[in-house]
Amino acid sequence: MSESVFLLPDVGEGLVEAEIVAWKVAVGDTVRLNQPLVDIETAKAVVELPSPYAGVVSQLHGGVGDTIEVGQPLITFDASEPAGPSLELAAPAPASTPAPERSAVLVGYGVANEDAVPARRHRRRDTSAPTPATGPAPLSARAVRSTPPVRLYAKQHGLDIGTLVGTGRDGLVTRADVEAALGGLVGPSARPAPVNSTSRFVGRELAPWDSGPAEERIPVKGLLKSMAESMVQSAFSAPHAVVWLRVDATRSVELLDSLRARESMQGLRLSPLTIVALALCDAARHYPGLNSSFDEAGGQVVVRRRVNLGIAADTPRGLIVPNVKGADRLGLVEMTRAINELVDRARTNATSPAEMAGTTLTITNVGPFGVDAAMPILPPGTGAILAVGQLGPAPWVVENQVVVRQVVELAMAFDHRQIDGAMASRVIAHVGRFLSDPAAAIIAG
Amino acid sequence: MVGEELVQLLTPEGERVSHPEYESSLSGEEILSFYRDMVIVRRICNEATSLQRQGQLALWAPVQGQEAAQIGAGRALAPSDFTFPSYREHGIAWTRGVPPADMLRVFRATSTGGWDPQKYRHNVPTVVLGNQALHAVGYAMGVQRDGAEEAVMTFFGDGASSQGDVLESFVWAASFNAPVVYILQNNQWAISEPSSLQAKIPLYHRAHGFGFPGIRVDGNDVLAMYEVTRRALESARVGGGPTLIEAYTYRMGAHTTSDDPTRYRIDAEVEMWKHRDPVERTKRLLTREYKVKKAAFETIGEEAEAVALQLRADVLAMDAPDPISMFDYAYAAEHPLIEEGRREMIELGISGGPA
Amino acid sequence: MTSTTMTMARALNEGLRRAMERDKRVLLMGEDIGKLGGVFRITDGLQKDFGEDRVIDAPLAESAIVGTAVGLAVRGYRTVVEIQFDGFVYPAFDQIVSQVAKLHTRTDGVYTMGLVIRLPFQGGIGAIEHHSESPEAYFAHTAGLRVVSCSTPNDAYWMIQQSIEHDDPIIFCEPKSRYWEKGEVDLDNPPRGLFEAEVRRAGTDVTLIAWGSQVKTALRAAEAAETEGVSAEVIDARTLAPFDFGPMVASLEKTGRLVVVQESPKTASLGSEIVAELSERCFYSLRAPGMRVSGYHVPYPPSRIEDAYRPSVDRVLDAIDRVMGFES
Repeated sequence: MSESVFLLPDVGEGLVEAEIVAWKVAVGDTVRLNQPLVDIETAKAVVELPSPYAGVVSQLHGGVGDTIEVGQPLITFDASEPAGPSLELAAPAPASTPAPERSAVLVGYGVANEDAVPARRHRRRDTSAPTPATGPAPLSARAVRSTPPVRLYAKQHGLDIGTLVGTGRDGLVTRADVEAALGGLVGPSARPAPVNSTSRFVGRELAPWDSGPAEERIPVKGLLKSMAESMVQSAFSAPHAVVWLRVDATRSVELLDSLRARESMQGLRLSPLTIVALALCDAARHYPGLNSSFDEAGGQVVVRRRVNLGIAADTPRGLIVPNVKGADRLGLVEMTRAINELVDRARTNATSPAEMAGTTLTITNVGPFGVDAAMPILPPGTGAILAVGQLGPAPWVVENQVVVRQVVELAMAFDHRQIDGAMASRVIAHVGRFLSDPAAAIIAG
Repeated sequence: MVGEELVQLLTPEGERVSHPEYESSLSGEEILSFYRDMVIVRRICNEATSLQRQGQLALWAPVQGQEAAQIGAGRALAPSDFTFPSYREHGIAWTRGVPPADMLRVFRATSTGGWDPQKYRHNVPTVVLGNQALHAVGYAMGVQRDGAEEAVMTFFGDGASSQGDVLESFVWAASFNAPVVYILQNNQWAISEPSSLQAKIPLYHRAHGFGFPGIRVDGNDVLAMYEVTRRALESARVGGGPTLIEAYTYRMGAHTTSDDPTRYRIDAEVEMWKHRDPVERTKRLLTREYKVKKAAFETIGEEAEAVALQLRADVLAMDAPDPISMFDYAYAAEHPLIEEGRREMIELGISGGPA
Repeated sequence: MTSTTMTMARALNEGLRRAMERDKRVLLMGEDIGKLGGVFRITDGLQKDFGEDRVIDAPLAESAIVGTAVGLAVRGYRTVVEIQFDGFVYPAFDQIVSQVAKLHTRTDGVYTMGLVIRLPFQGGIGAIEHHSESPEAYFAHTAGLRVVSCSTPNDAYWMIQQSIEHDDPIIFCEPKSRYWEKGEVDLDNPPRGLFEAEVRRAGTDVTLIAWGSQVKTALRAAEAAETEGVSAEVIDARTLAPFDFGPMVASLEKTGRLVVVQESPKTASLGSEIVAELSERCFYSLRAPGMRVSGYHVPYPPSRIEDAYRPSVDRVLDAIDRVMGFES
């Protein structure tokens, strides 16, 4: 003898429970299929429930006035008299998954109960499909802002992007940051650190290099105009002026030596010229007025916040001055590579006219010719040119002791129409400090 | 309510009445078979209601009270005719040969259709009120273009008679003289709204405004339903154009098992209509005029029980289909999103793959 | 190869004619499509040649036009429905989404809803209210429907024929502002499958995706960008549901930058769908977020100011500037 329990069904009335209004059967009664069993009252209506079984009633699970919840036992039968195939009450269930519990609504089977803590029911079988990484990402990686391809680039080269300091807008890690880090040169930031200080120029405060406009035009008037006019008057062609400085560049030489030993630097021709180039660009970034030209026709001084660094090169055809475009944005590796290429192309007469156009600052390296210094002539349209003499051991006073240091002499000619002597002196001193401690200058800016 | 404009051939008491235009052409044997159909359809309906009360169906739309309207109309159809039902046409489905279990598939929510509509020439149920009226007219326009002598029948209720689609279909059926017979079962209630809210004139009058005949029939009189429908179908098949037949009847049960009609209609009205019951009046006619014996009625009752038991067994055996079947017929041709969905379902282990 | 120059309107007319000649069960139905030949003359002369039974002047009831086309499909006919203007499709919306889209699946494949709903869409013709809308996303969103759009006479000629031959219901979006533009039509060979996108212009820096009227806008913007040193690739989506993402992915993996140009408003638009999908598929190739140049989120404005609403070359160039400006 089997037992069958009729659970109070969801009859689609929006009920979660029902009250027993009247039993139409009693314990011991023999009941036919679909015989009325009970009247129940839901929130909406009184409904008569027909029996889903044929059999003898063995238990009523509540009395008149009792409230039964949907899904709870209502009546139990000893289903000793099978009435055809109806005896087994098949629950409607999907073939593969148990149906989630449902809550009654006005129409239909009700809505799936989604209040419970969700548990994963299905997992992708194909393990080759992308799955989330196991374990949390390193803390450092979480806050890094970068672009998808840069992240991929870093990942492909085994670099944790979280260890990088972004130099892009709002600290964005850029491709260049990753490239610099991969170069393994000087730690986290191979790119010049941003400069946000102002500086005095032609009688006014110039906006910082990194936040000022790419090109700024300053009216030539007032003191500036009188300085310009007097300088032109006082000089027969260009109002050149020059400042000199001797520098202890020992640390530059040491840095270059240590870098040359690195495997990642093989193939690069590292020379003091690279450090000088970085130093001059850094000076320009601190004193944007250095990177200026005097536009006589327009009655303006033009300040440019982009250094196209001319390198005077001795070529079979004679002297030419191709430039490194955007040199102020380059790190040590990039600068070395750019200058190497520039010089190579100049020596093989491969320099294009475009490479010679638009110079804003110039370096002339006279050291290889065995001279200590020179007074260079400004290329037209530029404000300053730095001559670098020979670098070599020389007596130097350190803590009142004469010692042998690697010494170089710098000479900078400038257009005195807009650049005055005080500023030129600060610039050459800046370059000097850079050369005397280049690692600190590159890292700290 | 029963005015002189109502075509009636059999009174609620089971007595024949004459009508100037229509008379019954049915033999006693045929009337008995109509009776059998009505009894079985009512039994199917009751079993479905029980199954719903026992938690085996999501919903059921009872047809009780409208058996004569549907059996009378349905039996007038030729096998080659095509029918576009709404969702309560279980009697029509029965006359078209649709297996009872298939009628319940939609209500058990294991299917959104239920049967092969071309096999039975009976469309799957249309739940959006009135949509099917336009499908019927379009199908009928196809019949015209094929030069076929076929008619198309569509069903809707007093509630759906207010739908734009139904009224648009009247325009089209008239303009194109489409071979369509509309069976408007005015069962007095659109869920809780009385038919007086849908129209201030008898509903069959609407056809006149569109330019084709409209006739009101006692929808609980299976003889009248059959004769009026038969003539409308014959007319349609030979180019006579559309007809609107208003079957004046009553929904004895709830709108669906989710409805509680005691909230909006009075018992006296239900009692009044009980006296007009379509099955009982046919039984009286058969007993009195054709001397059908009690044993014959009992045999039909047993047959109906057997149909109900089989229906119950079939429904309980109806499992939810494999979830992946939802992709099978979304499109006729290949579709990348279908492939994507199938693949994901298999990869997540929701389905074992196509059957 | 036989080819000839004709307008898009003419190409559609010729395509319909050819489909009707090929298959006797192809019908046309719509308002004013008979003697008048349709308000855009797309069906010009077809009723005269094929008869009133096959080119049916419909009463003015869009739900009925689509609803009866459903019945005709059940009967085995292939009806090409003309909705007179985009803004008049909404009365038929119920039939399209409730019936057209669902009946194949509800009948377990017994019914073939091979009907084509032609929809002159998008603005740019200086029309009055309700005549310039871009409702393609409503339909692309509905499973069971397919949506395509032509942008050239050659595509119009072939895509309408391919749509009629296809067994699924197709919303066929015709850019009414391009109806009168001429182009070469190859009368022998279709350019490609119906559900394939096409690269209209090769480029390397940014991918522009458009359809219908905006393909031309995108091409013009690409030309302008070229003079500014930016090389833009232009893809004509052609099929809007489903999208043909293959060529889009290939392009984006090359350029890393995406701009979608569409006339509809942006929110929940097809452009949003393209950006989302391509972000998923091309994540590591992206050098900037995908941008959408769209109509503004306002009801279509008076056409005297529609040029400010519809994507212009300038607005596309602005989006190109923005994607080019991301640090990468």
